[in-house]
Amino acid sequence: MTPTLQTRRKFLRTSALGAAAAWTLPVFLEKTFCTLNALAADSLTQPVTGKDGTILVVLQLAGGNDGLSTVIPYADDAYHRARPTLALAQDRILKIDSHIGLTPQLPGFKNLYDAGELAIVQGVGYPNPNRSHFRSTEIWQTATDSDRVANEGWIGRYFDNCCRGADPTVGVALADQMPQSFSAKTPTGVTLSRPEQYRWRASSSDDGKPLSDEEAFYRQLIGASEESTPAEGNSIAELPGKTKTGDSAEDFLRRTALDAQLSSEKILAIAKKAKTTVVYPPTPLGASLGLIARMISGGLPTRVYYASQGGFDTHAGQNGAHDRLMTQLNDAVTAFVTDLKAQGNFGRVMLMTFSEFGRRVAENANGGTDHGTAAPMFILGGGVKAGLSGAQPSLSDLDHGDLRFNTDFRSVYATVLEEWLHAPSQVVLGKKFPTLPLV
Amino acid sequence: MLTALPSSRWDKETAAHLLNRATFGATPELVDETHAKGLERAVRDLLTAPETAVEGPAPEWAHPRNLRTIRREARMAKESGDHSKVKAQRQMEGDELLDLRSWWLGRMNESTAPALEKLTLFWHGHFATSAEKVKDGYWMWRQNDTLRRGALGNFNLLTKAISRDPAMMIYLDLQQSRKEHPNENWARELMELFTVGIGNYSEPDVREAARAFTGYRVDPSTQQTRIAFRQIDPGAKNFLGHTGNFTGDQIIDLLTKEPACAVFIGKKICRYFIADEPTPLLVNLVSERLRTHNFEIKPVLAEIFSSAQFYDAAVRRSQIKSPTQFLLHTCKILATDLPTPRVAQNAMRQMGQTLFGPPNVKGWDGGKSWISTATLLFRNNFANYLINGDAMRPDAPRGRGGDLGLRRGGKGTDDPRREPIDVSKIASAELRRNPDVLLQELTRRVFQAGLNDSDTAPFRDFLAHRKGDTSDTTVRGLLHLMMSSPLYQLT
Repeated sequence: MTPTLQTRRKFLRTSALGAAAAWTLPVFLEKTFCTLNALAADSLTQPVTGKDGTILVVLQLAGGNDGLSTVIPYADDAYHRARPTLALAQDRILKIDSHIGLTPQLPGFKNLYDAGELAIVQGVGYPNPNRSHFRSTEIWQTATDSDRVANEGWIGRYFDNCCRGADPTVGVALADQMPQSFSAKTPTGVTLSRPEQYRWRASSSDDGKPLSDEEAFYRQLIGASEESTPAEGNSIAELPGKTKTGDSAEDFLRRTALDAQLSSEKILAIAKKAKTTVVYPPTPLGASLGLIARMISGGLPTRVYYASQGGFDTHAGQNGAHDRLMTQLNDAVTAFVTDLKAQGNFGRVMLMTFSEFGRRVAENANGGTDHGTAAPMFILGGGVKAGLSGAQPSLSDLDHGDLRFNTDFRSVYATVLEEWLHAPSQVVLGKKFPTLPLV
Repeated sequence: MLTALPSSRWDKETAAHLLNRATFGATPELVDETHAKGLERAVRDLLTAPETAVEGPAPEWAHPRNLRTIRREARMAKESGDHSKVKAQRQMEGDELLDLRSWWLGRMNESTAPALEKLTLFWHGHFATSAEKVKDGYWMWRQNDTLRRGALGNFNLLTKAISRDPAMMIYLDLQQSRKEHPNENWARELMELFTVGIGNYSEPDVREAARAFTGYRVDPSTQQTRIAFRQIDPGAKNFLGHTGNFTGDQIIDLLTKEPACAVFIGKKICRYFIADEPTPLLVNLVSERLRTHNFEIKPVLAEIFSSAQFYDAAVRRSQIKSPTQFLLHTCKILATDLPTPRVAQNAMRQMGQTLFGPPNVKGWDGGKSWISTATLLFRNNFANYLINGDAMRPDAPRGRGGDLGLRRGGKGTDDPRREPIDVSKIASAELRRNPDVLLQELTRRVFQAGLNDSDTAPFRDFLAHRKGDTSDTTVRGLLHLMMSSPLYQLT
């Protein structure tokens, strides 16, 4: 019997799983399997609690966000020359300093900046940039050199190295499909688009009602019920049949089934219970960030949340389209921040945006922009060292019409890993990247 | 060495194992038929692909077009402010891929040579190419056709065919490779992922090999490959310790002569057909057979499928089903049709195996990487959907909640409703008269083996709780319970 299983077994028996009320017990929120587990002795393994650990929220702006229309070098003549129809008049810009400012659709971000809660990392990219959405997204998700392919994502490698044995909700991605950054040797983390989707569903009877009794036997089947005790030999701990090493596929499947049931009950209970007075905008991003705030408030032992906003591939008619995207981003993030502040959790949450690339400096003939390279990232939260980081790339010294990056995105990752998640970045990223003063 | 399985050990469970690994899964009917053939004939039949199974009808749209013109017209229309052509082009790409995925799943399901389809899927994962970048259904279909034609043949020849395959040439930028700027992407992956594996070549070898593959071109106006003679670098190359004016084909010849190549391919074959984590001894045995047979795949597979090692108790039911295996085998067990193309595509995506869309050039990792809490729950719920059809969803608010995201991307009503399975096809009235017999037969059907008492206890208890009721509802519930067992994920 491995310590993990023993602990879980004990936990299951002592906390009367099956009664949904059990999941509201504070004891669960404070102690997780990870901390109880012998594996926690491993120096890399991080105990996770839902109450006091730092939390990272990764927000993907999918499609290639136009950095120059987000953080605008308004004082640069080259910007106005390159963007005859897209450039904004100076008086509309939310000025950060005498050179750059935010697009007027981001007033919430401006307030955060002024309040010392937003850092802007400028000119982020990587060497030998790739302009394919598919490939460049993969490079950001796996944090590899652009001529190297990897299967595991950078967050997945963090889970593999630092969260072994952790509750599966150590990572929660709000998506239809797991983002590649979560891909790990030992799959960890939960991907769901709606909490109701993330649960086992009973078969149905002819009148369409779910079979009420099937679920009890499903619990017995995966060892999550009170009825099956280890002594009877059909528990997860004493596996029948062939000799098992703890690593067999069968063991792994039994553990994962139990994990799924546990985390599903928790997420559903939290989603149902946690209430907020903050009104989120009725957008997909608003729904995602609202759900994340509920999970944080409910004390889910999560280190990394992942959400995304799509539609940034603005090849044509960018003016209206990009404005709408920025407004959606602004409104959802503003509601999220208000919510977290009301919860008293803003100090332990960091939100980081990224996009697979920025766009070309010159606008195209369709009032849009094509795939480019470097772009800014936003890092915000109560514990963030606000201000500008990196430098705005030159608009005149271009690389075939594209900005030259000055900060490798993996430096940002390394900072987040080292300074925020307190994880060894070199193990996760494969090499050492200089950290930035963001925390 | 690989030792032959004694004929005394050829029984229904070993026959089921052969079907589960060499094809997309066994049913009691197929097991009986295969067992009756005897091992030798069973293996021979599986690995003999009739002409019709190789040819087969292509999707009706799968023929070359003048992509150069089509794309230019769309671009010009877009530049004059008309986005309809670009949209139509994208819609067509999406529709063709949807159709192509459904075409292949249907073929895997119905082929008279299912082992050939399973092997074609192996090569698709090996020579991984994604439509995300290729963006053309014909090219993706054509690669699939090339893989199928070469699947049971010689690995060296298949690799050469793939080096001329338009989809691969686009995916790994080979078609852009010029004498002045040899593109290293294909050359690197050829060595790292397709033949010898990392650590068995140097960076200069990558550069020299890239020079040998210059001048390969894809012509978008015919969608065919051609050689641009002026772009070829005919000079001498130093490659893996050899020097000569090597062509791309000669580079492939040199690579398949490397001892590391047999080990690399042997290991992949072991992982796909035998064990997620094969022992070094097993890998050595299989790679030795590959060398002996000069990389002819068919005789190597025949020896594997006839070997005692393949039928070892530790090998049986130790492999995690791929999403493709899960979907196809579940439908076979339930004696039901595949879901609609839209539902199948969404389900495969959620389970992590989009056909014609591997995550990257490394293909699918397989094994444990298929399973997360989310994909496992999805597999359980998808089995529910396959059993109960759209009836499983009424407790959810319309269009959300319990909906598994299976209709995503459809136009709402364009997909017919799925009905519950016809229980009488797999459980006769006679069988249902006795719950114990019913349980035994369904266990054999779902797991292709008897399970021990503790594993079947929840099923027995469920039936007992239903007090001898064996109505359709109960049988469907029992099937779903069985398919929710962690053991069901193994094959």
